[in-house]
Amino acid sequence: MGNLRQPVYLEEKLEQVRESGRLNIRSKSLPTWCPGCGYFSIVDGVTMAINHLQIHQKDVTVVSGIGCASRFPFFLDTYGFHTLHGRTLPVATGIKVANDALTVLAIGGDGDAFAIGGAHIPHAARRNVDITYLVFDNGIYGLTKGQTSPTSVLGFTTSTSPYENQDRPLNPLLMMLSYDTSWIGQSYAGDPRHLSDMITQAIAHRGFSYLHILSPCVTFDKTSKTYSNLKAQVQLLPDDHDSSDKIAAIKHAMDVDNPPIGLFYKENRPTLSDNLDLIVDKARGRNARA
Amino acid sequence: MTDTDIQLMFCGSAGDGTIAVGDIFKRAMAKAGYKVIAFDIYPPEIRGFGKCISRVRVTSRQAYSLKQQSDVLVSLNDSYAIPHVTEIRDFGSVIYDQAPIAPMAEGEHISGHLLPGQLPYGLRIREISDQTTGGSKSKNIVALGYLAGLYGIKGDPFHQIIQEKFQHKDPSISETNLRAFDTSYDEGASTFRLDFIELGTPERQDVGNKVQMMTGNAAVVRGCLDAGLNNFFGYPITPATSIMESLATELPRRGGRIVQTEDEISAIAATIGAGYAGTRAATATSGPGLALMIEMLGLGVMAEVPSVIFCSQRGGPSTGMPTKTEQSDLHLAVYGGAGDAQRIVLAPTNVEGAYKCAGKAFEMAEKYQTPVIVLLDLYLSNRYETVVLPRQNPFEADSSKYRSHLERGVAYNRFALTEDNISPRTIPGEEGGIHTITGLEHNEMGRPNDQIHSKMSEKRHNKLLQAFDHPGITIHKRFGGEGKVDVGILGWGSTFGEIFEAMLMAQAEGINCSAMKVVMLSPLPSQPIKEFFSDCGEILIPELNYEGQFANLVASAVSQPFTRLNRVPGVPMQVEDILNQIRHLADRVKSPTAA
Amino acid sequence: MASTEHYVIIGNGVAGNEAACHLRQRDPESRITIITAGRLLFYSRYELPRVFHESCDWRDFLVNPIEYYVKNRINVRRNSFVTHVDAHRKTLNLAHKEEISYSQLLVASGGASYLPAELSDFAPLLNHFNLYSAACKVRDILPSKGKIVMLGGDVLGLDLARNLLKEGYKIILVATEQTFWPHRVDSDERALFLGALRDMGVEVIEEVKIEQIQEGAPGMSARHVIFDDGREIFADVVMPFLGLLPAADFMMGSGVDFERGLLVSTNLRTTDQNIWAAGDVCQIWSSQENQYRFYYGWKNVKKMGEIAARNMTGDDILWETATDHKMYLDENKQIISPYWEHD
Repeated sequence: MGNLRQPVYLEEKLEQVRESGRLNIRSKSLPTWCPGCGYFSIVDGVTMAINHLQIHQKDVTVVSGIGCASRFPFFLDTYGFHTLHGRTLPVATGIKVANDALTVLAIGGDGDAFAIGGAHIPHAARRNVDITYLVFDNGIYGLTKGQTSPTSVLGFTTSTSPYENQDRPLNPLLMMLSYDTSWIGQSYAGDPRHLSDMITQAIAHRGFSYLHILSPCVTFDKTSKTYSNLKAQVQLLPDDHDSSDKIAAIKHAMDVDNPPIGLFYKENRPTLSDNLDLIVDKARGRNARA
Repeated sequence: MTDTDIQLMFCGSAGDGTIAVGDIFKRAMAKAGYKVIAFDIYPPEIRGFGKCISRVRVTSRQAYSLKQQSDVLVSLNDSYAIPHVTEIRDFGSVIYDQAPIAPMAEGEHISGHLLPGQLPYGLRIREISDQTTGGSKSKNIVALGYLAGLYGIKGDPFHQIIQEKFQHKDPSISETNLRAFDTSYDEGASTFRLDFIELGTPERQDVGNKVQMMTGNAAVVRGCLDAGLNNFFGYPITPATSIMESLATELPRRGGRIVQTEDEISAIAATIGAGYAGTRAATATSGPGLALMIEMLGLGVMAEVPSVIFCSQRGGPSTGMPTKTEQSDLHLAVYGGAGDAQRIVLAPTNVEGAYKCAGKAFEMAEKYQTPVIVLLDLYLSNRYETVVLPRQNPFEADSSKYRSHLERGVAYNRFALTEDNISPRTIPGEEGGIHTITGLEHNEMGRPNDQIHSKMSEKRHNKLLQAFDHPGITIHKRFGGEGKVDVGILGWGSTFGEIFEAMLMAQAEGINCSAMKVVMLSPLPSQPIKEFFSDCGEILIPELNYEGQFANLVASAVSQPFTRLNRVPGVPMQVEDILNQIRHLADRVKSPTAA
Repeated sequence: MASTEHYVIIGNGVAGNEAACHLRQRDPESRITIITAGRLLFYSRYELPRVFHESCDWRDFLVNPIEYYVKNRINVRRNSFVTHVDAHRKTLNLAHKEEISYSQLLVASGGASYLPAELSDFAPLLNHFNLYSAACKVRDILPSKGKIVMLGGDVLGLDLARNLLKEGYKIILVATEQTFWPHRVDSDERALFLGALRDMGVEVIEEVKIEQIQEGAPGMSARHVIFDDGREIFADVVMPFLGLLPAADFMMGSGVDFERGLLVSTNLRTTDQNIWAAGDVCQIWSSQENQYRFYYGWKNVKKMGEIAARNMTGDDILWETATDHKMYLDENKQIISPYWEHD
């Protein structure tokens, strides 16, 4: 974070970005997000990650649901499928089952993921579908102009909660940990380096990786998850956090006042495709692979 | 040569091996070269208890409906069979146990319930089972042996099927069952037969691998496999579950992948995901599941992604009658969804058609880049028919319209407007074909755009009309009288079996009539329907739903009046019911003033 | 009359069906059940010789159409075998272990072909003509112009014989004391009638006993009959026509008095007040002869059925002893038995 305070010269920066080649991954369509939206840095993070991992654009498929976040595929020059509200994961699962060679990113907001799409998450997680699920959590419904979401804090006032939100917010990280997700991390749109690093790790993980990205809605949330609030709250996971220790991960996930960012938990286990291959072997009477 | 046409009914509890014996019988008859159509009824609850009925019609020419009245009833449990005695025709036969183990009160034995015209054949079923096998488990085999002996059916095919049935068990089980069969076979052969049931010689003795006996759902599975299905996603629901169950075994053997999803929404979502990624993918469900899939189906229409959905209809609405048949999901299949969501809907009328439609659905889905719904119903899904499958795989392995080499290097528009309204397609992983698809209305490039809605709606509508000429599939067909006729019967789905039988009976009575089946319900082949209307004095549309859903569809295409016949008994329509309507309409044509 | 009455009739012949018809007329609300071992509804056994010269099936022999049973609510329980009657509990048991209650029981189970002990060894090689199935079997195994050996020759046999002669079959009659049964013929009449039979073309063999009946060698006639005097006959069918015995074994142990047949008083009631008998199965008290005796023939049996039914439903009609029917020769010297008459 300290790096941000050093002077940045625009021309130098542009040169650096051009050389990286990651601009090619951006599509020619201009994002429809509001100026200052945290999602811009997520696009940057994704392009940097793909670039860093040297994955060919043609081999990337980005699947999204409905919402501000789900407009994401239009702003990348990769294959993309802008699907239905809440149905990102099953569509992504179908794509991955059809073609293992593809790098599949699933993208949605907090409403798309945990309200309408909540039923699909545990199943993608338990099957360990080898996709990367990026959830942009701004705690509000932005595309429909500001209503409460499943992660809105108590007391939040919106157009559908004029007398303050009384529904307790979900704790997505705790949920994902309980679903046996094989890679769980959290990052913050206000820290692009951390973000791109976490996205890179998430994509690199073989299995279902879940990255929770805290991201302010600059238009409809002036009080809750603002840049200034989040900046003050967010903290790095301690250096000594053991990412194979689920109990420790759960304890950190419960810290909602000072959300830690970093890799919470990681394990390696067979993916859905591994298991489907195993079934083919069994069906064909071959010895099950070790 | 005698035209064989006999229908048997086995009735008993699940523990009596009722369905099993019906299965042996129909397989043996098919093996002997007869044509078979069969339908089993299980108890709605878990197996092991409750009434089971297996009906098997054996004919020399393939029949597509079961007869209202059976010729022979085999009772393996009198208390279950007694209510069905009335379903046996005059001079038909009832075979039952003459030596049950326990004393019974008056009225508990089936012999006291026979109608005067029916013929009783009491056999010491339990005793023979005990003597030959040492237990009463083979009562069903004993009854079967007697039946075969009584009607002089050759024993060899039965031996083969019984051996196949028990091949994975201790060899002694097969032996004792064969002994039970032979003992009662001799008893049957020496019984003086009083009924008038004749089995002619089967038409073809050279039964090769081509002729098979299978259910509608099994035919769907076979069609999927022959069409090269890669991925299947499903959620269990009666009466479609057996499609997924068979594929769970068969698909991985061919290297395919099958996933049981968390719900029907995920099943169709994953199917469309796989379709987008370029494989042949399908899902199977029933009405309630199709209702859940409809939103995703709309996405498939808008984003022009191939997908195949098999829907086996049952009684509705809502959870309805899961174990009863009906044809009431037509509106949902054809119209369901937000906006103008044009799609292809196919409804086979018999098991062979189920095979054809299943395979062709994949060709159509790919070629026209659309969801294709194949509508079956519980009756068609579960009934057995002998089918002749083509020796050559009749399905195209890949029907997609891909970008040609010439187009490579040029900026790619996934939804390019073309002459045939079908846009060349690329799939993820393909160099230079990168694009994003969406459920939002979009321009040729695939970017959200509201300005082009009229043009795109027209594209999506018109591209499907080419399916009328899709090669290798009959989308409508007329049977019976040519040219002008007095009465025309228009039908769809499995009810066409009963329609066809009724038409033959009406013709035999001298009524000038003709029947037309419509296999493609969307887009509707209006022109041939109009032509059929203009050839017929009166038109009858029988279907198993209350609202007349197909009739409504037809009414939107033609202006002439017609007569509806709607029944929702949960079981197939009665041929007699249709026949009566045909007679009535024929009278009306003859003397219009009387109407 | 109480509508809960259940009249059970054992036997599906002339007596039983006549009774059922009258019972229905006199007690419209009652239940009526006929129990029979056979598989068919009531058919005319007198018509059975027709199987030889007509293309017909059993439906052509039915006395009443199927609708008759539906309309009159007469349940004919076919292929059912009575094993026991309990007069005290007013129940009867069927072989398939079903117990049936009755309010009034009529036993009209008729007679079974009599076969003397010395012939019983050959039973599997003998053919009968008492049932539709038996008749069809004879028809099916008899070759055209085939040869029949008839043992005895009671009136049923003679009826068949005169029909078969017309069809060109050859009849060999082995005369016994049952020949002309149930007619009582003296030796003069016997000689006269046997002569008439010979004139009709029947080969009559007298004064011999059967020594052996064998299956014919393959390719030869199916039956080989050897007599005690050494004579041998080859034939296609051997048929015993030796009169009838009452068929009421199931009444043993019922508590009802029984001699050769069921003993009934002139109102046809047995010694149990709820059990009645009619037809060839019963012996009726004759005060004239001071003994129980049988009465045969369609007319007698039919009358018994009617009387039993009326008495079961409250009448008190008595059987009037009929004079014996005599056999005679008509103007063409043809044997005529009044027992051949029927509706």
